[in-house]
Amino acid sequence: MVIPTEDGGFNFDLCKRNAFLGQQGVKGPSVLKTGTTIAGVIYKDGIVLGADTRSTNGDTVADKNCEKIHYIAPNIWCCGAGTAADTEAVTGMVSSAMELHRLATNRSSRVITAMTMLKQHLFKYQGHVSAALVLGGYDHSGPHLHSVYPHGSTDTLPFVTMGSGSLAAMAVFESGYKENMELEDAKILVARAIEAGIFNDLGSGSNVDLCIINKDGKDYLRNWKCPNERTYRHAGFTFPPGTTPLIKKNMNTAYCTSLPGLSALVEVSDGPEPESMELA
Amino acid sequence: MSIMSYNGSAIIAMVGKDCVAICSDLRFGVQHQTLATDFKKIFKINDECYVGLSGLGSDMQTLRQRFVFRHNLYKLREDRNMKPSTFANMVSAVLYEKRFGPYFCEPVIAGLEPDGTPYITGMDLLGAMAPASDFVVAGDNTESLFGACESFWRPDMNPEELFETISQCLLSGVNRDCLAGWGGVVTVITKDGQFTRSLKGRMD
Amino acid sequence: MGDSAYSFSLTTFSPSGKLLQIEYALTAVASGATSLGIKATNGVVIATEKKLPSILVDEESVKKTSLVTPNTGVAYSGMGPDSRVLVRKARKLAQTYYRMYKEQIPVSQLVRETATVMQESTQQGGVRPFGVSLLVAGYDELGPQLYQVDPSGSYFAWKASAIGKNMVNAKTFLEKRYNEEMELEDAIHTALLTLKEGFEGQISGNNIEITWRKSSNFQGADFKLTLPKTCCKTAQRLRCA
Repeated sequence: MVIPTEDGGFNFDLCKRNAFLGQQGVKGPSVLKTGTTIAGVIYKDGIVLGADTRSTNGDTVADKNCEKIHYIAPNIWCCGAGTAADTEAVTGMVSSAMELHRLATNRSSRVITAMTMLKQHLFKYQGHVSAALVLGGYDHSGPHLHSVYPHGSTDTLPFVTMGSGSLAAMAVFESGYKENMELEDAKILVARAIEAGIFNDLGSGSNVDLCIINKDGKDYLRNWKCPNERTYRHAGFTFPPGTTPLIKKNMNTAYCTSLPGLSALVEVSDGPEPESMELA
Repeated sequence: MSIMSYNGSAIIAMVGKDCVAICSDLRFGVQHQTLATDFKKIFKINDECYVGLSGLGSDMQTLRQRFVFRHNLYKLREDRNMKPSTFANMVSAVLYEKRFGPYFCEPVIAGLEPDGTPYITGMDLLGAMAPASDFVVAGDNTESLFGACESFWRPDMNPEELFETISQCLLSGVNRDCLAGWGGVVTVITKDGQFTRSLKGRMD
Repeated sequence: MGDSAYSFSLTTFSPSGKLLQIEYALTAVASGATSLGIKATNGVVIATEKKLPSILVDEESVKKTSLVTPNTGVAYSGMGPDSRVLVRKARKLAQTYYRMYKEQIPVSQLVRETATVMQESTQQGGVRPFGVSLLVAGYDELGPQLYQVDPSGSYFAWKASAIGKNMVNAKTFLEKRYNEEMELEDAIHTALLTLKEGFEGQISGNNIEITWRKSSNFQGADFKLTLPKTCCKTAQRLRCA
């Protein structure tokens, strides 16, 4: 039995087997993608990030209301597009590293640090970790907005879009962006950009999430707009008890999966008082 | 032919009022050849947490062993059970470790959190979680499972209603699936305990 | 480490069955600055002396208590550099746990992991034991908690404890003052009083450090690293009293 290590890093044990299966003519599996429209702008006092909430598996909608704006630090958030597991893992890893960095340096995090960590990781994996990110935050030197590509290149711009709906969203930004926007105008612009993706890109859909970051902190507006409520409503079905035919035979051929708790294995009783407690 | 439908599987988890249910079909085959009709795909982790594994049969069993191993170690270390959400995060981490050579398994986790709130989540084979407040499905024919669940599910079902609904969803879902079916098992988890029932299904 | 012919363990049993290196490490702890901790009903506090070798040292730059997770803090007695190594490792262990379970590590687990690190350096080749004892204070599902970890790697949960130079007197003082119904504000007061007891000279916000964790609104509130100002005020009030 191999004792699982918790020191992180990838494990390539199954690669050979999976490649062999591929040679035998079996198709590889599909993974969850966040087809996605994500975007961000710099406004007068900070950053507005936006994302749709559809996650897809092939042509099927896997999650109608997922969260694509990930936590990096209290003052830094990151929208993710691409393979869902990769965006989740890479942002989780960087947020962890950022927290350690904050504890070690006793300073709040800087956006450029997060961006550098992200691009170094993504470059190392040569695009195989497929995360396309919009990174935004507010640090001691003001608001910062970057886009990070899966191969590790980055852009620094006043307004950015990413994901399969990026063209639709960028069209809105290109026509509607103004410098030094008020917060409300920026929110509306970002929401319009995301909605352009939701309605014109099949990989994006459902609702609009926003995240505002400025010197006062962040305001995560989950489902700020829900333009795609279910159009039909019905009470669901009620199946009276006994509808489903059962068979007597117990198919629950259960393995004993789990240890009983320690408290079930031992009996705790009061012993004599110890005379003294050794500290060595 | 995709490796995910080599053996055939169908799994659903569903939320009710203060209860959750998880179910699977019972077929195990090699492509179109049925080998077993009592194949387990739902595994108990503890009283308040079950996991269903869909996909390649061998990887399902390997993963079950690894999850149980980790849960047992956790229990010895911390003298408590994993919450379903904690367990799901552990599963996600275990799967993502093999990002570039994955297990061909999509897990579904169902259970009750310590405060009694239902928790269900689906996951892809790389460990990307998709928690839901209604239902999650996995298997080789998720389209038909999704369809059945989208129309049959309603909020706040009691354990018995939940049992009937999830059973009907599974049976009608696998009705259009050559690779899954041959009956099913349903487990309903409530604060007061769990019950498991075996469903009669078509055998073709 | 361990493959060199000379990397044998420095910590070997004496004929009388003692591990002298560990006893020496405890001596190093016992000659370090006093630290103490008190568990209250609604929180936990740790406090430590921050005596500086010269008035020329910039006291703002010296940190003697540190956070490991948002809800766990550590104070030490003994060798400062050793404590930093432990704190760094503890933080990393806490993050590893978080990344696996997406849940803050329970105080007991953090203490166990940290104690394991300390134990390893009593058995490994080519290393010496850590010259510190830690007071780990935190708050998790099981409420406020206080642990002490020693160089041997042994650890205990305490209602109140003290380590370092004045540990014996401080503990006697705490035994008299402690009661089970004590609330955090009382505990902070008692912590300062206890420190004052064995203190050479006047205590002020510049020569002690105090960290506490209040249990109410557990969700958002972090361990509060003391601002020197608050500390000064409490200390002043004490002087007047």
